[in-house]
Amino acid sequence: MTVEDVKREDHGPALMLTNEAVVRAALEADVKVVAAYPGSPTSEILDTFSEVLTHFGDFRMHVAINEKVALETVAGASMAGMRSFTSMKSVGMNVASDSMLSMAYTGLRAGCVCLIADDPHAHSSQSEQDGRYFGEAAYVPMIEPSTAQEAYDMVKWAFEVSERYRTLVIVRTTTRVNHQRGMVRLGDLKRTPFKRKRWADVRDSYFTVGAVARELKARLLEKVKRIREEFEESEFNRVDEGEGDVGIITAGVCYLHVKEAMRNLGVSLPVLKIGTLYPLPERKIADFLKRVSTVIVVEELSPFLETRITALAKDANPSVRIIGKRSGHFPEMLEYNVPIVERVLAGVLGRETSVDYDAVLERAKRAKEGVLPDRAPIFCPGCPHRGTLWAFRQALTRLKIRDKIVFNNDIGCYSMAFLPPNNFSDSMLAMGASVGLSAGMEMALEDKVIAMVGDSTLYHAALPGIVNLIHHNSNVTLFVLDNSVTAMTGQQPNPNSTYDAGHTPARKINMERFFEALGADSVTIIDPYETRECVKPIMEAIQRPGFNVIISRRECALYGDREKKKRGEKIVPSVNDKEVCRNIYACIREFYCPAIVIDESDRKMVIQQDLCDGCLECRQVCPVDAPRRMEVRQ
Amino acid sequence: MKTYNIIFTGVGGQGLMLLSSILGKAAVDAGLEVMTGEQHGLSQRSGSIYVHFRVGEPISPIIPYGTADMMIAMEATEALRYIEYLRDDGVVIMSNRVMPSPIETAELIADKERNYVTLEMIEERVRTVTSRVVVLDSLGLAMKAGNPRTENSVLVGAACACEDFPIPVEKVREAVLALVPPKTRDANSRAFELGLKAGASCLRE
Repeated sequence: MTVEDVKREDHGPALMLTNEAVVRAALEADVKVVAAYPGSPTSEILDTFSEVLTHFGDFRMHVAINEKVALETVAGASMAGMRSFTSMKSVGMNVASDSMLSMAYTGLRAGCVCLIADDPHAHSSQSEQDGRYFGEAAYVPMIEPSTAQEAYDMVKWAFEVSERYRTLVIVRTTTRVNHQRGMVRLGDLKRTPFKRKRWADVRDSYFTVGAVARELKARLLEKVKRIREEFEESEFNRVDEGEGDVGIITAGVCYLHVKEAMRNLGVSLPVLKIGTLYPLPERKIADFLKRVSTVIVVEELSPFLETRITALAKDANPSVRIIGKRSGHFPEMLEYNVPIVERVLAGVLGRETSVDYDAVLERAKRAKEGVLPDRAPIFCPGCPHRGTLWAFRQALTRLKIRDKIVFNNDIGCYSMAFLPPNNFSDSMLAMGASVGLSAGMEMALEDKVIAMVGDSTLYHAALPGIVNLIHHNSNVTLFVLDNSVTAMTGQQPNPNSTYDAGHTPARKINMERFFEALGADSVTIIDPYETRECVKPIMEAIQRPGFNVIISRRECALYGDREKKKRGEKIVPSVNDKEVCRNIYACIREFYCPAIVIDESDRKMVIQQDLCDGCLECRQVCPVDAPRRMEVRQ
Repeated sequence: MKTYNIIFTGVGGQGLMLLSSILGKAAVDAGLEVMTGEQHGLSQRSGSIYVHFRVGEPISPIIPYGTADMMIAMEATEALRYIEYLRDDGVVIMSNRVMPSPIETAELIADKERNYVTLEMIEERVRTVTSRVVVLDSLGLAMKAGNPRTENSVLVGAACACEDFPIPVEKVREAVLALVPPKTRDANSRAFELGLKAGASCLRE
């Protein structure tokens, strides 16, 4: 439904996910080059661009190898005179920031916009990192929307600002903005044909070092001064008028929580909504501080606004009372919501909250107590990782070295090895970090060092670490889980795929050949669906000295099933043969397939037909081969 | 108008996003303001998922605790998991399906005396928050409609039977037919009617 709205040529209202509205805005701004690496909560931006790529045919797109390459790709396109766009999750900017801080100095040419999405509550991230510092650190303008409509408006504006000042512009969001669906008033879609430019027509210098850098820095500071002036007047920084001498300063999704909390309380306080995080509208903030005796600063994560507001208050209104994180009213972690904000506002104003939220939460807690089972994230039915991890643990048990290894895990679905039933992973920091950590541990520990990466993570950031291990003659066993796609974020293609965005053809990188070329001591390919057969080669690879690679190759089940359906193949579920089953429960213990349950009448295992993927990994781990393929009548 | 809050809950892979899209389209076609807070997160199946769906004059994408007028649960335990969002005497429309998680199954093999949590246990606890609970054999009704994948339409139909439901039933019916795969339109249409009827008779009781 909404992709149709992204594609429609006319203007009008549409119900859209913010991530889709962002794509629509970039298309209305006639974006010509898009590059991104998927990452929640931004993946639907990449997916939507990819879905409409061939429909429009007038822009080019890469599913990039990582965020740094994605940002460089769009910066390169901007230097070549084409409007370009990238999006990435919070931690993606850590990877991209190296080039980002330099491109602020050199500047760009055509409009170039980068969306970064923070993830308060770490719903799907390794930290609650606050990306708002990047704008200021890099002298790059950063703006923050609250709604789908505003995200749409701001992306279009960002292209103009970027072009006007020849700078990258960052649009900062949070999960609750990206994954919010709301009404968006679309403009007309007027695309122009894609036409390559000549460097001679757009040429400029994008070179920075030493004396050049110092000169560019001076110019950058002048540029920021001009942007600051423009942002002071921007309608995205505005005061919603209200009554009294208690005011609120807020931004992003918190603005929405504030407005609803005030409605619930029946109050109308003046609210300064900040739309430009860098440069901040300092005069507007100072003017606002002058008119209030108390200011409540509502923002998730770090006291980013609060610290700067406190500094401005020193001159503007030293006696103003600041309610925020430093005063202990708001937490510096997790997401906010209407109840959290309403409680603080009610406390400051001496009122009761509209609902006794504590009582509601207490009642819910009592209702769940002792009854509600946990439902932790788990590998899907048919997931090849389930078989790989089972065989890995079997190998360690048979070698009697479960306590004599260190296992450095990495970012992907397989991160869930840390959760039950595996409860297994000594580290997991960041994309590719498993191989870097392994270098240090290999020097410092007497234990065997084992690292694990997926195919997407391998290409994203693990390659330099792998070259480093091989070069230094390190004794490390590396698992590469080759499931064909970037599974966790929605099965996007990566260098391990034969296609790119919009299913356009791409060259698949042959990983076993490059491991051999790099000088790996051995490369063993296993099929996790032949789970039992995997144990021995894993044992051998772990025992062998040197840098040994195990490629566990089997496509992601969600991806594979979709491909099967496209080919018209049926997914045939498995059944447990109760005559054969001896209640050994190997299929349950340390396996945890969502399709597998217990029949309470005879305590035998049963496979839920509508959930089963028919992978038969459960037959592989069953000592008596009880699960089998269901017989289907033709 | 007053804002009407619905929280959808279920297990990853059950089609919650389609449910949300159907009601979203219906509300927009009826000229209502809609806002949702969705959980897209990671792609793994079988996790607990929800959608906050707000019609009327919503401001925040997330429903405040204790203010959801309705909960539509595609799986019974997932109704209880998010019960803090429901207001006093809010309506719960829940499937009678209980999908045990592997953690619970593992507990069953560790303790032979233990059984799965039952629908009755869940319903009893949900009833400590509200008496307006509609439990539907959504899968049975979907099969009766001719396609087990039409549970969504059964539940949406039942929601429409609720007297304060803000979206006109005709708009919802149209949205169902517009958004389900064309081949399944007839089955979905029957599923919707069966849900509507089942919901009406439950709510009258």
